[in-house]
Amino acid sequence: MKSIYKYIFTVVALFAVTATFGQSVHDLRLNEMMIKNVDNYADEYGRHVPWVEIFNTAYNTVNITGCYLTDDTTGLAAAGKKGGEVPARWYRIPTDQKMYMPQRSFLIFYLDDSPLYGPYHASFSPEKSKTHYIALISSNGKELLDLVEYPVELRDTSRTYGYLLDGVRDPKAFKQGKRQEGELDYLGEFTPASSNETGAKISKQDKLKRDDPYGIGMAIISMAVVFTALIMIYIMLKIFNYVSRRSTQKSKAKTAATPAAAMPAKAGDEKDDIVDGPTCAAIGTALHLHFGSMHDEESEIITINMPSKHYSPWAQKELTMKRNPRR
Amino acid sequence: MLEFFKEGLLQFLSYSGFGNCTWGHIIMICIGLVFIALGIIKEYEPLLLVPIGFGIIIGNIPFTDGLQVGVYENGAVLNYLYFGVVKGFYPPLIFLGIGAMTDFSALISNPKLILIGAAAQFGIFAAYITALLLGFSPMEAGAIGIIGGADGPTAIFISSKLAPSMMGAIAVSAYSYMALVPVIQPPIMRALTTPQERLIRMRPPRAVSHREKVLFPMMCILLTAFLVPTGLPLLGMLFFGNLLKESGVTKRLANTASGPLVDIVTILIGLTVGASTQATNFLRPASVLIFVLGAFSFVIATASGVLFVKFFNLFLKGDNKINPLIGNAGVSAVPDAARVSLVEGQKYDRTNFLLMHAMGPNVAGVIGSAVAAGILLSFLY
Repeated sequence: MKSIYKYIFTVVALFAVTATFGQSVHDLRLNEMMIKNVDNYADEYGRHVPWVEIFNTAYNTVNITGCYLTDDTTGLAAAGKKGGEVPARWYRIPTDQKMYMPQRSFLIFYLDDSPLYGPYHASFSPEKSKTHYIALISSNGKELLDLVEYPVELRDTSRTYGYLLDGVRDPKAFKQGKRQEGELDYLGEFTPASSNETGAKISKQDKLKRDDPYGIGMAIISMAVVFTALIMIYIMLKIFNYVSRRSTQKSKAKTAATPAAAMPAKAGDEKDDIVDGPTCAAIGTALHLHFGSMHDEESEIITINMPSKHYSPWAQKELTMKRNPRR
Repeated sequence: MLEFFKEGLLQFLSYSGFGNCTWGHIIMICIGLVFIALGIIKEYEPLLLVPIGFGIIIGNIPFTDGLQVGVYENGAVLNYLYFGVVKGFYPPLIFLGIGAMTDFSALISNPKLILIGAAAQFGIFAAYITALLLGFSPMEAGAIGIIGGADGPTAIFISSKLAPSMMGAIAVSAYSYMALVPVIQPPIMRALTTPQERLIRMRPPRAVSHREKVLFPMMCILLTAFLVPTGLPLLGMLFFGNLLKESGVTKRLANTASGPLVDIVTILIGLTVGASTQATNFLRPASVLIFVLGAFSFVIATASGVLFVKFFNLFLKGDNKINPLIGNAGVSAVPDAARVSLVEGQKYDRTNFLLMHAMGPNVAGVIGSAVAAGILLSFLY
């Protein structure tokens, strides 16, 4: 593979990976739910209906459009197939609404079997369900993003159930269809559209003090980010370099293709199609002396060899000048 | 009648500076005078040290509280001017000017030099760790660490958000060390390099096209700001200023940004930061520690740059090798650090001109320190 493609591929891949993992529906959790809502959180019509809270655990916006909410995952495998039908008790989060969840934000859906009431009203109600769980499924109908199995008693008690620590779950256990002990439980307080962690809040600073008392972790992450940012610029500049070199070569080739340059070259000049600078200078000087009828005997030596430079070309003013006139 | 005169005179004296003067005020005024002397006599960063030095004198003229003259008093003129420092809008304006003044050609033509600018940011995080060990809170440690970026506006921007009470000491420390770059860096550079390494001649950079120069700021803002959005005020203004310069069609704007605008903001930021160092706020043990940690982070940043070049050279061949004397320029004290590289290089080979090569890591350091500042904010703010 040519190096230019390597660089372009690297940059595109980097962006693709960042975009894929940066904006992932896999960061969504069914953070809190209430099945028997007697006189608590009311919907926009003032009704007390079951609700579930979705929490975006990521530090970026996640689009939840097209994902499904359900209390019946039996059709998961079939729905994921091409042309597979979406089961009746799956509520598809509408595509025509703005369902972009900002970082670490919460969104409430009412499980009232009243989809005509608006985009936040699901097409099923857990009160009428045979199962006792709520699931969130990806838009392709194949992946289970989160599934919270609640105690059957929740249907008879006006309490909420969910993650004790906002959206924190053991990914390994979840894959195996299990849950870590103490991950989910009845919540002490109703906290719709806000954090379940109602205990003493730990400030960002205290958390950092607790988790990284010597700052080594932060230093390593920060240096990695600084290097990543500058390496990305480095790759971009390498592409610039490559493109610039190519365009220079192209323009040289174009010059060589002109009729004057296409004249037959002398023997031994097969390597270079273009007459180089020193040769031009020598020919020019010779012609100038000839037409100017200047001395026959020269006091200086004229050579086409490049003079050895005892200084940096940076000292030469001419090198800092642009060749083309600027606007 | 005589009693009235006596009472009036005493009352007047109680309002005057003589009546309120303390040793702290005198010490601070002396520091201000030293700054001015360094700026005028030694010509160490005079554009910064003279306004800061004079600001220190203004800020330490003793007066009675309630007269609405001090920088910390609501309604005072100096307080209004200081608002730009507290709210952090002077530093991005300075970055706009820096962008409009900076030529990134050296970096574009030799991209690997950008990595030196990244390595030198290690000073920031080394100082952060040390400050934590000395008992500073994470936010204070972050604000102190940024001194190692050798970037005054960035230091002010970060400290105004993370540790406003320490901003005076941090800003003065950052600018002092920036001014002392020609004194601090050479011994470290000499200690970490061999005579052979100091003689390395670098390949002359290629010519950079206008198109590349125009594309550079646009691509850079996309790459860096997407990664660290918290650095947007600094990075955005830096690259916007550079686009004004390089586009070729906004010369008037570029001239204003790099001339009158940056001059005005430099005057205001220098004077008010200097005035914020009132003896009562400034002369504390914590300030001494900030100065010590600032020097430490500066030394580490310089050493990191030089050592990184030596390490990098292990993988480079022939005329691709980099002279480690430009490693110090990874700190973003533009263009002083690059000038130090030139001067040091010429001590060993009078015909070796390292200035333009050193400008690469130097401007990379500006980008690196702005990125590092963004990371500190995202972690700590």
